[in-house]
Formats: sequence, C-alpha cells, structure tokens
Amino acid sequence: MAASASDIRSALSLPDPSAVAGPSQPKKPAPTTRKPEGISRELYSLIGPSQPSVAAQVAKPRLKQKPRFATGISSATKWELKSFQNSTRKDGLQLKHWVKASDSVDAEYPFAKYNIQNPVYTYSQDEYTRFLDTSNRLATLKDGKGELEKPWTKEWTDYLFKLYHEYDGRWHVIWDRAEFPPEAGFDLEDLKHRYYSVCRKLIRNRPWPGDEAGRSALINSLQFDIEREQMRKRYLVSLESRTADQLAEEEALYLEVRRLEQTERRFKREREDLLRTLAGMDSGLPYLVEDNGVPLGIFSEPRNLNKKRKTIVGQEIDSPLTPSGAGSSVSAIKRPQNTKSAAYDAQHCIIRTELPSSTSATKAAHQPAYIRSSKIPYLKNNSMQSKVLQSFAEMGLSPSRLVMPTKENVAQLEGLLEAVTAMLETKKLLDKADHDIQVSKKQLAMRNGQLEDGEGDGEPGVKTEEAMDVDQTHDETDGNEGRGHSVGTLSESAFDVNLLRGYKCNESLDTEYKAAEAWIEVSQ
Amino acid sequence: MSSSDRVRVRGLSIYRPIIYGNTAVALTQKERDSLTSPDHTHRWTVAVRSAASPPNSDQVGGADDLSYFIKRVTFKLHDTYPSPTRNIDKPPFEVTETGWGEFEIIIRITFIQEAAEKTMTLLHHLKLHPWTVSGEPEIPPLEVALKAGPVHSWQYDEIVFNDPFQNFLNLLTAHPPTPLPKAKRKPIPFHLANPGSFEESKGGTPEFHAGMISEEAERLDDARKKIIAETERLRNELIQKEAELEKSKKLLADGA
Repeated sequence: MAASASDIRSALSLPDPSAVAGPSQPKKPAPTTRKPEGISRELYSLIGPSQPSVAAQVAKPRLKQKPRFATGISSATKWELKSFQNSTRKDGLQLKHWVKASDSVDAEYPFAKYNIQNPVYTYSQDEYTRFLDTSNRLATLKDGKGELEKPWTKEWTDYLFKLYHEYDGRWHVIWDRAEFPPEAGFDLEDLKHRYYSVCRKLIRNRPWPGDEAGRSALINSLQFDIEREQMRKRYLVSLESRTADQLAEEEALYLEVRRLEQTERRFKREREDLLRTLAGMDSGLPYLVEDNGVPLGIFSEPRNLNKKRKTIVGQEIDSPLTPSGAGSSVSAIKRPQNTKSAAYDAQHCIIRTELPSSTSATKAAHQPAYIRSSKIPYLKNNSMQSKVLQSFAEMGLSPSRLVMPTKENVAQLEGLLEAVTAMLETKKLLDKADHDIQVSKKQLAMRNGQLEDGEGDGEPGVKTEEAMDVDQTHDETDGNEGRGHSVGTLSESAFDVNLLRGYKCNESLDTEYKAAEAWIEVSQ
Repeated sequence: MSSSDRVRVRGLSIYRPIIYGNTAVALTQKERDSLTSPDHTHRWTVAVRSAASPPNSDQVGGADDLSYFIKRVTFKLHDTYPSPTRNIDKPPFEVTETGWGEFEIIIRITFIQEAAEKTMTLLHHLKLHPWTVSGEPEIPPLEVALKAGPVHSWQYDEIVFNDPFQNFLNLLTAHPPTPLPKAKRKPIPFHLANPGSFEESKGGTPEFHAGMISEEAERLDDARKKIIAETERLRNELIQKEAELEKSKKLLADGA
C-alpha cells in the first residue's frame, strides 16, 4: 500500500509532498507516530503515507492567533490633542483631533484630500437654446419615438442644477426637496435623465482640454439609461409585491421547468447514444455539448440552485432576475484608471491621446513641437476686439496671455472668450432694440403733434449735436440698469427725420420710416 | 541607435514646463562709473530655465538642467549691443548684460538632434523698471529703484512634443522635471494677466508654485460664470425691450 502511493506519485511525476513543503511550513509529524483524532487506528493505517492531505482535513481547525498586546518592550504610544487646519475649509475653522505625538505638527490634514466636489456645470442661454432646449423637439419626438423627452423648461433645468449642487448630487434628497409643478410629473429618473443628458451635451459640445479618451470616459461616466433604470425599478417593485401564492406558484413552475429541462437533456443524450451506436463514434449531435450549460439564463451553474432557492424563499431580494442597474453599469464602464501609470504620466508630464483608428495615423503630418501659450485662441472679430479687451480688463484678465498656460487653463480661457463674445453679441442686440424703441417713441411723439418743433431743427449743426446727445445718454445707460430713463427723456426731444436715418438699423422699420417721411412731406 | 528608437510613439504628447524672462537690478553710481558705458543704469539677466526653483536659492526657476533636451538657446538682443546674437550652448541658458532701456528679446530654442524638431521662437520684453498697479510704466529715481530691489519678469510656459521618437521619449522620461511646490512659499511672480497678484508679488525673490495653476483656472471659471450671468441679465432685458418695441410698433400701426 505504502509503496503504491509513492509509485503513483513518481509515475505521474508529482513532487513528493515532503520535498515540496517549504521552510515556512511546520514539519509534518511522521505518519507512524501519531494519528489524528476522530479516526480509528485501523482506518488510519490503511491510508498510508499519503496521509498528510487527509490529516490536514481531519485535524482540528486552528484558531487565529491572539494578538499580542503590550509586551513590555515598547511603551504605549503617546497621543496628543492638537488643533489642525483643514486646508479645504474656506472658513478657517480650527478643530482639534488626537494624533500621535510623533507625527509632525504641520503635516497636512490627511482627510482633506477626500473632500472632492462635484464639478459644477453651468451653461449660458446660448448653449441652452442650441443644445439643451427640448421643448421644440418634443413635437417631432411625440409622433416618432414617443414621449422620451419630457418638456423641460429653462427654469426647471436651472432649478434642477441648483438643487444638484445644493445637495451635492444626492439624488434621493434632491427628489425629495424638489418642488416641480405637479403637471410636470417628474420622477427621480426624469431628474437624473435630464441632469446627465445636459452634462453630456455640454461636454460634447464644448472645447475639451484633454484627450479624446478622457472626454469619452467622462461622457460615459455621465451615462444614464432612463428606460433601463425604470425597467429595473418596475422589476424590483413586482418582485417585492409578490404574494405568497405567487411565490409558491413560481416555485412550482421553476421546479417544473427544471424537470422538463432534465428530461429533454436525458432524451437528447439517449438520442446521441443511439446515433453513435448506429452510425459510429464520430457522429452524434454536435450542439449537445453547448446545450449543457445555462438553463433559462437564470443561474450560471445548477450547483447554485439550493443556495439561490433559499434566498428567494427567504424573501431576500437578491435580484438575479433584474438587469443590472444603471449605477453598476456606470462604474463598470468607467475606464479602470491605472493609478500607477497615471502617476508616472503626471511625473513625466505625459498626455496620452486616443489614436485615430483609421490609417490617418500614418498619413498625418507630424505636428511639430509647440509652446503651450501659442494655443491661446486669437481674437477673431476685429470690430468686437476692443470690447472684448475691455471686458477682460474689467475682470482683471487678459484675453491673450495667461500666467500659467497649462492645457487646462488654455481651454478655460477659450471657454471664457466664447462666453464674452456671446455676451457682447447679446449686448449688441440689446442696443439695437434700444435704438428701435427710441425711434418708435419718436415716431409716436411726432404723431402726437410735435411736428412743429421737428421742423425748427432742420439745420445740420443741431443735428449732429442731437446725435451725440443720444449717444451719450446711451453710453451712460450701458453702465447702469436704468435704461427706461433715457428713453423717456429722448421721446420728449425734438424729432428729426435725418437723425432717425442714423438709427436706421432695423430693416423691419424701413417701411415705417418711409411712412413717416411721407407724412412729413404731406404736412409740410 | 537601433531602428526601433526612430519610431514615433503615437498618441502621446509630452511637455516640459519652462520659464523664460529676466531679472534686473539698478546699478549704484559707483558701479555705473566702472562700466565702459556709464549711461547704463541696470544690470539684467535674461534666461530660459526649468519652472521649479532650486531649494534655498535666490534664483527664479532653474532647478533642473534643461540641456537634456535643449541644445542651444539664442538670445537676440537689441542691435545696439555688440554682437547682438548670443548663442548659449550649455547651461545655464542665460545672458547677463547692462543697459538703460527695455526692448524685446527674441529667444530661439534649438532642441537636441534626437528630438528632430525645429527651433522654437519666444519673445520676451526685457523688464527693467518695477511693475506698477496701473500697468503704466514709470521710471523711479535711482535711490527708489535701488531700495526696491531686483525686478522680475517671468513667463511660465510648456514645451509640448507630439508623438516623440522613442529614443527622445526615453531621454525625456529619464529626466522627470522637478514638480512645482504645491503651496506658496515665496512671493509669486507678477504677471500682467493677473494684476491682482501685485501685492502678493512683493517681498523678495518670487517662485512659481502649482497652486497658481488652479488659482488661475478658478479665476477664469469665476469670470466665465459672471459673464454667463451677465449675458442672462442682458437677455432678459432684451426680451423686455423687444416686448416694449412690439407694443410701440403696434401703437404706431394703430394710429396710422
């Protein structure tokens, strides 16, 4: 017996167990000297020299070693109550905590790094109307894909974003506190869906400082599948609301299905055996092998059956029947950032970009080395340039220079430049509207019988003065809020057709000018 | 050099933070007398250096030796200087001169052969006189200038290499740049793009620190938010105005 065990070992070229045992393992007791508890001597002697594995199973489980506390050699560590400064606090509140006396006094507060704020996404009105406004598209969606997009207004979206930042992205709190008008009928998924889709659209439509991979990773991290999430919740609700009868029925049905499956498999196997006996070894049913696996797509292995059944009977919602929630899928999609390589890249100032998958990589001309600040965008529009410069100067910034032109900051500056341009465009429109109002008011005033005054002001000298006056008043009002005043005073001033011509900037008013001129001619 | 070295590593860009600029000190009457051209009022040094400052030093930047990727730096001075084109082939890449006036210096950086990149040209305005809050240059009298100490004018920037050759990349990664200190330890270098830093820039040799990057990002972001809010306000006003215009137009039409 003893010889056969070692023979088998050598035949299978298995290493001798005693040779394998490393120096860290305690030497196994000689098989003849001791026998483990709970096994009769006769049986034990039958096992022979292969006993170590058996002995290991039979031997009493050893308990974890007790930790050894103060052994007397080292004294207890000294702790001190010290005040510290949390570097992420803005209010400079001083708190105290217990630290080891050996720790250095001015070490940075170790938990400060966990104070991570969600990035704040903001959008301008322009961006909103261009990318985010769903109210117009609703009509087209209604007949096509159905009511996927709920009609979000700008106010609601603003409100949602405010809530998101106020409650730091805690959706259940947001949903609890949100007070949308009842006709909107938003549920939690709608809020999430709106928020994430807005963020995604913003990222997709804005200049991106980093590489494409980072951008798509960020977009992926903001992925939210509203239908799937709603389906998941529906499943959960239905799972929760099963009655005892339904449970029993489900159980019965399940067993029935299992039985049927087993029967079918047995039937197939028998058929295969039959075919083999009739047609030879190589025949048979090729698909049988694959078919052996997952029944119903519920359990990965039949072995899990007992365990799973127990949990279901025990009303525990371990949800193998439901699709994985959006939350987990998000984390799965997130690119596993290799922290080590990220640290390496940061140390060596390396930025990796996704390669274009096509052949263009080989064809593309090499982009020569450049200095980062050369990527600061130029001011394109010449007529607007001085105004852009002025608004930057007001903010204490420069549109063409950066203190620290890093990749991110250059991108930031680009975004700022865009925002400033959008603001100036709006201002231009506003000025135009102002002029138009003035013109209309004058026309009204003229009609109300102040024509005599207008005739008196016919000389060119007065004209230019008038024009300058208007400009001045206008410039003043640019700075402050009260535009209404200037309009009021101007409407009282004398009317002059030539002056009006100077403000002829809106085509829609052209006809009115003509009418006014004609009218003056007639009355003259 | 094996053939595999001359392969470009695609989809990768690697940059090196540098600073360029100058320091200037006003000369005392005595020093001026000893010069060959006694009308010179300042001694200045223009340099290209790594961004981080060496520890316990009175120098702005230059913790790392940049000669591992820079072969030569050419400073093109004003034509009135003798041999105005100064080629510096080994570190430190700097030129020290005396003078009386500010002018634009053309800095040309030549990379080592492995980089296979063209020379890069930077422009620096030599700064001799102290920064002012208003931004208007003013020339203080000698005693004031002497008392105020050296004038610093430095620009941070990053040299970006796209798809570098493998051997050049190896060279670069063999010399990771000294990271900028995380927090402010010394005054920060004044820059016209951040006039708010005027007070912070006073009091000795300045130093670049990593916080300046995020501070600037914040400044830009705040400004953007403000602009967006302003745009919003203007837009609302515009909507009102347009309604008003509509009204008066209607009045006109009714009357006519």
